[in-house]
Amino acid sequence: MAREHLSNDEFFTQLTNLFEHNRTKGHGSVYLTQKRITHTADSDAPSPTKILDDPLWDTHPEHPLPILIRANNNKSSKREGTDRPGTDRDDHDRIKFTTVVQPDQLDAFYVRYADVCKTGMSALKKRDKKKKKKDRKKKKAGEVEKKS
Amino acid sequence: MPDSKSSAEWFEQSSLLLKARPSSTRITSKYTVLKPTASKIRKRQKFYENYPKTTSGPTGSPPPEAAVAAIAVTATFKLKTYDPVSGTCLKYQTTKAAEVGRLVGSLGKLGRHMAALPEVTEDISAPSEQPGTGVATPTVENDAKSGGPAAEQKTGGGGGKKKKKGKK
Repeated sequence: MAREHLSNDEFFTQLTNLFEHNRTKGHGSVYLTQKRITHTADSDAPSPTKILDDPLWDTHPEHPLPILIRANNNKSSKREGTDRPGTDRDDHDRIKFTTVVQPDQLDAFYVRYADVCKTGMSALKKRDKKKKKKDRKKKKAGEVEKKS
Repeated sequence: MPDSKSSAEWFEQSSLLLKARPSSTRITSKYTVLKPTASKIRKRQKFYENYPKTTSGPTGSPPPEAAVAAIAVTATFKLKTYDPVSGTCLKYQTTKAAEVGRLVGSLGKLGRHMAALPEVTEDISAPSEQPGTGVATPTVENDAKSGGPAAEQKTGGGGGKKKKKGKK
C-alpha cells in the first residue's frame, strides 16, 4: 500500500475538516467505511490448509483484530459546457484518508467518532421544538380550565 | 434489499451478518446534503405564491421566505452493511440529527464484532457516552485464551441484548 494510515487523532481533525468542507460547499456527500483488517504486518494470512481444516476460522480468531476506518467524499467538477442548471459548483478533488483502530482503543475511538459525526452532520433535521411548545401550552390551558 | 424500517432491526441483522462473516463484511455510512433541483425550487415558489389564496384565514399564511429556506436542503444519513461474498446488503436511512449519536454508537458495537472482541453486556445503559476501555482489556484476555468459550459468550450476549431491546 502506497498510502499511509493516519493516526487516530489526525484522522479526527481531518474528518472535522471534511465535514466543514462539505458544509461550506452546501451540498455533497461524506462516506465513512469500516471493516476488519485481516492481513497485518505481524500476522500473515492463514494458510490454505488451516482454512480447509476450519472454514469458519475467521469467526473466532486467536487475537482481536484491528479495524480500518476510511473517510472520503466525491470529486466535483464545474460541468462546463453544459446548459444544465445547478452548475454553481467548483472543481474539487476527492479527499480520502484512512486510519487503523486497535482493538483496545475501539471504545474510546467511537466515543470521539460519535461526537465528530454529531457536530459534522449539521444539515440533518433537528428535533421539532414547535410541537412540544404547542403541547405544553395546551396542557397549561387544560390545567387552568380544570382549576376554574 | 429494501431499507430496514427501524435502526434496531438494521443493527440486529447487521450483527448477525457480522457474526457469520466478520472478515468480508463492511459497513459504509453516507452523509449526503442535496440542493433541490431548479425545477423543484420553481415549483415550490409557485406553491407559496398561491398559498395565501388557498388558505382563507388570517393566521393561515406563514412567511413563505422562511419556509422555502427551511426546505431548501435535504440531508440524509444512510447506513449500509454489505458482504461482497454472500451479496447480503442491509440498509437503513434517516434524516434526523437526533439519531446520529445512537447510530454511531451502534457502529461501535458492530465494530467490536469486527475486531473479534466479545460484546459488552454490562454497560448497555450508555456505551456510546462512556469510554469502556477498562471493561475491554479483561475481556480481550478471555478471548485470547481460547476461541470456543468466547464464541459461546458472544451468542449469549446477543440473546440478552435482544431481550432488553424488546422490553424497551
